[in-house]
Amino acid sequence: MAVLAAAGIVADLGGARILDGVDLTVASGGWVSIVGPNGAGKTTLVRVLAGALAPREGRVLVDGDDVRGLRTRERARRIALVPQTPVIPVGVSTLDYVLLGRTPHMPFFGSESSDDVGRAHGMLERLGVGALAGRSVESCSGGERQRVFLARALAQEAPILLLDEPTTALDIGHQQEVLDLVDGLRAEQGIAVVSTMHDLTLAGLYADELVLLGGGRIVERGPAEEVLTEETLRRHFGARVSVLPGAHGPVVVPHRAPGKAG
Amino acid sequence: MTHPAAVAPTVLRPRWVVGGVVAVAVALVLGLTVGAVSLPVSGVVGELLSHLPFVGSKSSLSAPQAAIVTELRLPRVVLGLLVGALLASAGACYQGVFRNPLVDPYLLGAAAGAGLAVTVVIISVTAATGSAGLPLAAFAGALGAVGLSWFVGRAGGRRSAASLLLAGIAITSFLTAIQTYLQQRNSDTIRQVYSWILGRLTTADWGDVLLVLPYFLITAAVLLAHRRVLDVLAVGDEEAAALGVPVARTRLVLVATASMATAAAVSVSGLIAFVGIIIPHAVRLATGSSYRIIIPLSILYGAAFLALADLVARTALAPAEIPIGVVTAFVGAPFFILVLRTSPEGRA
Amino acid sequence: MKFRTSLLFALLVALCVSLGATPAGAARSEASNADRKIVSLSPTATEMLFAIGAGDQVVAVDEQSNYPTDAPVTDLSGIDVNAEAIAGYKADLVVAQDDTAKGALDALGIKLLVLPAANRLSETYAQLRKLGKATGHVDEAAAVVTKMTADLAGLRAEVPDSSSKPRTFYELDDTLYSATSKTFIGQLLRQAGFRNIADAAAEEGSGYPQLSSEYVVDANPAVIFLADTKCCGQTAATVAQRPGFDTIAAVTKGHVVTLDDDVASRWGPRVVELFRELVRANQAL
Repeated sequence: MAVLAAAGIVADLGGARILDGVDLTVASGGWVSIVGPNGAGKTTLVRVLAGALAPREGRVLVDGDDVRGLRTRERARRIALVPQTPVIPVGVSTLDYVLLGRTPHMPFFGSESSDDVGRAHGMLERLGVGALAGRSVESCSGGERQRVFLARALAQEAPILLLDEPTTALDIGHQQEVLDLVDGLRAEQGIAVVSTMHDLTLAGLYADELVLLGGGRIVERGPAEEVLTEETLRRHFGARVSVLPGAHGPVVVPHRAPGKAG
Repeated sequence: MTHPAAVAPTVLRPRWVVGGVVAVAVALVLGLTVGAVSLPVSGVVGELLSHLPFVGSKSSLSAPQAAIVTELRLPRVVLGLLVGALLASAGACYQGVFRNPLVDPYLLGAAAGAGLAVTVVIISVTAATGSAGLPLAAFAGALGAVGLSWFVGRAGGRRSAASLLLAGIAITSFLTAIQTYLQQRNSDTIRQVYSWILGRLTTADWGDVLLVLPYFLITAAVLLAHRRVLDVLAVGDEEAAALGVPVARTRLVLVATASMATAAAVSVSGLIAFVGIIIPHAVRLATGSSYRIIIPLSILYGAAFLALADLVARTALAPAEIPIGVVTAFVGAPFFILVLRTSPEGRA
Repeated sequence: MKFRTSLLFALLVALCVSLGATPAGAARSEASNADRKIVSLSPTATEMLFAIGAGDQVVAVDEQSNYPTDAPVTDLSGIDVNAEAIAGYKADLVVAQDDTAKGALDALGIKLLVLPAANRLSETYAQLRKLGKATGHVDEAAAVVTKMTADLAGLRAEVPDSSSKPRTFYELDDTLYSATSKTFIGQLLRQAGFRNIADAAAEEGSGYPQLSSEYVVDANPAVIFLADTKCCGQTAATVAQRPGFDTIAAVTKGHVVTLDDDVASRWGPRVVELFRELVRANQAL
């Protein structure tokens, strides 16, 4: 049962056609990872899915409802978004920042309950930044911040999670931690995840389905083994790679240019 | 290191509120007892008590002295409190909406609009009507200018805070230019216009207080209700919308409310500068960036600040009056220099 | 060569001296003054010119010169003096309040007579005489001065004698600017037998202190003079409505006197009318 379904999405930005007929569905508990070269339109697609950008054609249905037709508050309860470069407010503690994620669950003119505060603390703990609750967001390191951003999105407790480059600033250990956590949550709570990622191997490792975006269209779709082939990657990324079978999925290995002896 | 679970979200500490209430009380007491004419404190207290029902005390002051307390000082101090609260809370609201701690309530053209309207009235209306139409003109001018900025800022489908800001700057320049031109052509009215522009509470009476009170109550209620929403707006339009805040509608409500507060203040007291920037900023520096704190404390400390500034305005060179805008500027400029020199990096 | 030049020079000097010294020349300058065309940029000077009989010589007066009513009012400004516009009236003499236009008028060959606002009566009389000389109406000017002196003395004699002089507040505008006894009007008030509440308010300064409502209410003046009826629409009614003013004796007993702004600000022949108002107000107490 598809909890998020996009059909025939055509989207323009600044007069240019970015997406030219994109379909995408995610089921409850599923994980779709969008990959593609820079400028392919990955972030634009995420914004359209989140309801932040209106497509010229096509619709995005969330549990059967058009995402653009939902009231802002209802949309925030169903979709949580972590943008690629979130705004870092000045002088705000990480706890307060994560509490912002509870906004769709609080009365509009109200304040947070102790339950909300407890959940916020809990989310920070699960992401390994519980000790930073009193620190201001801008004083955290890049890796700490990225986890705080994710904590806020998770605090929304929405059934759909959209992550735009969630692991760029993280070291390999933290990358695994974060992705493991998201993986666990989707198994536990049936959250549907859509992510964009530069790291193809990592994307293939965690997602059920990869979607390769090229020139505004979906050029390949399927499980990682099918999408991550040397031929495909050469054609769409212009990259020289070998794809090796790994323990849990294909591993993409880049080559150096020929003629440069090691 | 603090145990994480002990860290609490930023809330309004009671002691800050108490401090604010005390400041207001001090401003009220000083404002009533100190003035161009020296009156005995016991006399002032006795006069006030004699107006309370069920308290059977009589005033020891003569009729003119009693009039000074109840007809001159009391409404003036109360008006100063209200206007200070209006300007400071409007400034705080604008700072939250535009995500810029250096924004003041006159940004969207309220000051220029009120100034132009007042200039037009002073020039075109004969002296026979005197200054009766000025408050209404100022109010209408202020709101009209903000409305104009709103529509210009939305032209072409743009709905961002930045475009509204730019429109406000453009409208302000335009209206100010017209006002300057009109003053040049009617140079005999310059003194009158400037005395209004510099801001004054000199003619405050109970009528002004009653005029402004409902605006204060309504705008304070709306802004206090929205204090958490302003915190959410700090992460930008798109993220705030993703968190469930209807950004465009909320911005409209907030800008309209703050503009109404500014227009009400300007209509009775002229253009008093600096209060709308200094107070919210000082509160922010002292207590952090949450509007849950800044809004209520701006109301309290803004009130106290302006009432005290007015006290200085009417006693420093008694019996002459310094225009109150001059007093607030004298405080404001050194304040900003101090802020520049002492604020730690990373704290705006 | 040198001898001839110095001879020529001496002849030239002799010629000039002889021309200037003839009695006929002197008589001519008095008579020719009476032919002078005059532009007045000062409302006070306008009133003076007409009072001394030189009105028919006046070809243009500034926009503020509204008395006498048959003065040829133009849209010349007394404050922003426009020499070109003045030249258009082909005047020989310009009377102004200050000398900002001197450079431009000199270049056009027009004589400028500067008559700033008088600080005391003696200056007013001196100005009248100067205008008499400049317009060839010396005798009439002297007569005006004599009459003014006599009228004022007569009015002074009517001032009620009282051991405690009544306090007065003289209001210049609606932001409570007043004038101390140092000023022209302040002297008139003193001579009319009043004690001026503004005196205590300004030890140093320009003589025009701004008072506060509190101060005026506390001083409780017996008479209030309003010199801002035309500019600022003040009347006894508007004064009574000001907060706290309804406790002032002048208001409760109906001694708020409205003056004509113009009469109360031009130190010319109509000073006598102004003084009469002041004395009457004292008599009415």
